[in-house]
Amino acid sequence: MITAGRRKSIAFYIAFGIGLILVILILYFGWVQLNWRHGALLILGILLLIIIISGVILNTISLVREIHRNEQKDAFINAVTHELKTPVASIRLYLETLQTRAVDEEKRKEFYRIMLDDSDRLLATIEQVLRTGRMGAAGRGLNLVRIDLGPLVEECVTRTRALHRIPPEAITFRPGAPVNIMADLEEVRAAVSNLIENAVKYSGKDVNVHVDTEQADGYVLMRVKDAGVGIPKTELKRVFKRFHRVPGPLASRVKGTGLGLYIVRSVAKRHGGRAWAESEGAGRGSTFFLKLPVAK
Amino acid sequence: MTQILVVEDELHLAEGLRFNLEAEGYQVRVVETGEAALDILQAPEAPVDVVVLDVMLPGKDGFAVMSELRQAGQFVPTLMLTARGHPEDILKGFAAGADDYLAKPFELAILLARLRGLLRRRDWLRTPVNHTVAKPQPTDTFTFGDKSVHFDLLELHVRDQIFPLTLMEANLLRYLIQHEGRPVSRKAMLEEVWGLHEDTDTRAIDNFIVRLRRYIEDEPARPRHLLTVRGVGYRFVAAPAAAK
Repeated sequence: MITAGRRKSIAFYIAFGIGLILVILILYFGWVQLNWRHGALLILGILLLIIIISGVILNTISLVREIHRNEQKDAFINAVTHELKTPVASIRLYLETLQTRAVDEEKRKEFYRIMLDDSDRLLATIEQVLRTGRMGAAGRGLNLVRIDLGPLVEECVTRTRALHRIPPEAITFRPGAPVNIMADLEEVRAAVSNLIENAVKYSGKDVNVHVDTEQADGYVLMRVKDAGVGIPKTELKRVFKRFHRVPGPLASRVKGTGLGLYIVRSVAKRHGGRAWAESEGAGRGSTFFLKLPVAK
Repeated sequence: MTQILVVEDELHLAEGLRFNLEAEGYQVRVVETGEAALDILQAPEAPVDVVVLDVMLPGKDGFAVMSELRQAGQFVPTLMLTARGHPEDILKGFAAGADDYLAKPFELAILLARLRGLLRRRDWLRTPVNHTVAKPQPTDTFTFGDKSVHFDLLELHVRDQIFPLTLMEANLLRYLIQHEGRPVSRKAMLEEVWGLHEDTDTRAIDNFIVRLRRYIEDEPARPRHLLTVRGVGYRFVAAPAAAK
């Protein structure tokens, strides 16, 4: 329903733009018919015509873009609402349960664990939203320090394993030779852990993720390969856009805010590196790359 | 034993609900997708007494599941539970055929009270059916003009047309008919029909009235049976005076 509404409004603005251009052309040719003898006027007319038509085209494009952006923002607010309210609802439910019912020791411990998980999830969402806000803020400098990417990736892998309670063989990490990069520790950690978290999130029940790092011509490259839902070719670039979520049933089974990969790409850019994705298509897994320059 | 079906893909919430509902003495079944819920509920004689339905589900969402069930003639009392608490979401839920709607985060006691309310009225509606089994003569029907409400079948017959009613529509209509000729306040309706004792937004009722009018009024814009009583609520008139 939402997409139908959007197509309609976009189609309207495009038709409106084309209509205006047609009106201008008709007026113009009428005017040429009347004034074709005056050379200078004719040239002036052609120039004005080009300016007007490009103005209309630009206007239409920006309108369509604005509509698109608004929709993404709506979807984002919906997703964030869900991501914020669900853990709160869960924590609240368990607290009320503990408050009103007799709960045996074992259950009580399980409830505490669930509440801790939910508060982690809540915190992760809040941090992503705040981080995105900070990235948007101009003039915020990087706090560059010399770090070795290997141990940092190792730490993120261990944390993800613990968080999702997955066995060590489900996420393997093969570090390359130790190599230092100049980077903002907080930001690079966020980017690396977003990539690993994503690989697990989009893997479904059978997690099979391989992470490795290697050094090549002045850069260190981290690879995160999963056997999950995959990404259609047309979406490979778009997944890094802010608020963007791959449409369709496969990815919508996984909940998220559409910020994770945007953060990855921004971090890579701010460090003079690059982030990209490769996939054989939907259902065939995907590989994410993060490339950062080696410290001199 | 009363069976509750919980359709919720957030496992933490689902397990918390299961624990509490089982502690209340209900039998609980949890499914994670709308498709699974449809499979269970569309089976003949589905052993489910009340459904708790989440909106944001993977695949088919709660609204789609709800309207599909109602279209298939499955009128099991359903409470929709969702993080989306905007008025338009709530209205969408009721339009899809939900009997009640609760926004997350919710208060446990209120959720339980609402579920009890749904079950209570289901039993209440079911009792007359048992009577008809025992004594074949009296049926739970009310006739006015060329229309008749069959509470046991959840149907409204208007001349040769048959409209299916939801449980809440039938309950509301029954309540109005019981107070035939007298004005009934929105608050009273909320308390007696929905079982709510708080300052809930009463617009949901107006929405129900609009739907009922569409069924029983020849001209819904100029109601003759279901009249608005300004500042109070509504009044049901079985035999309105002849049109002026």
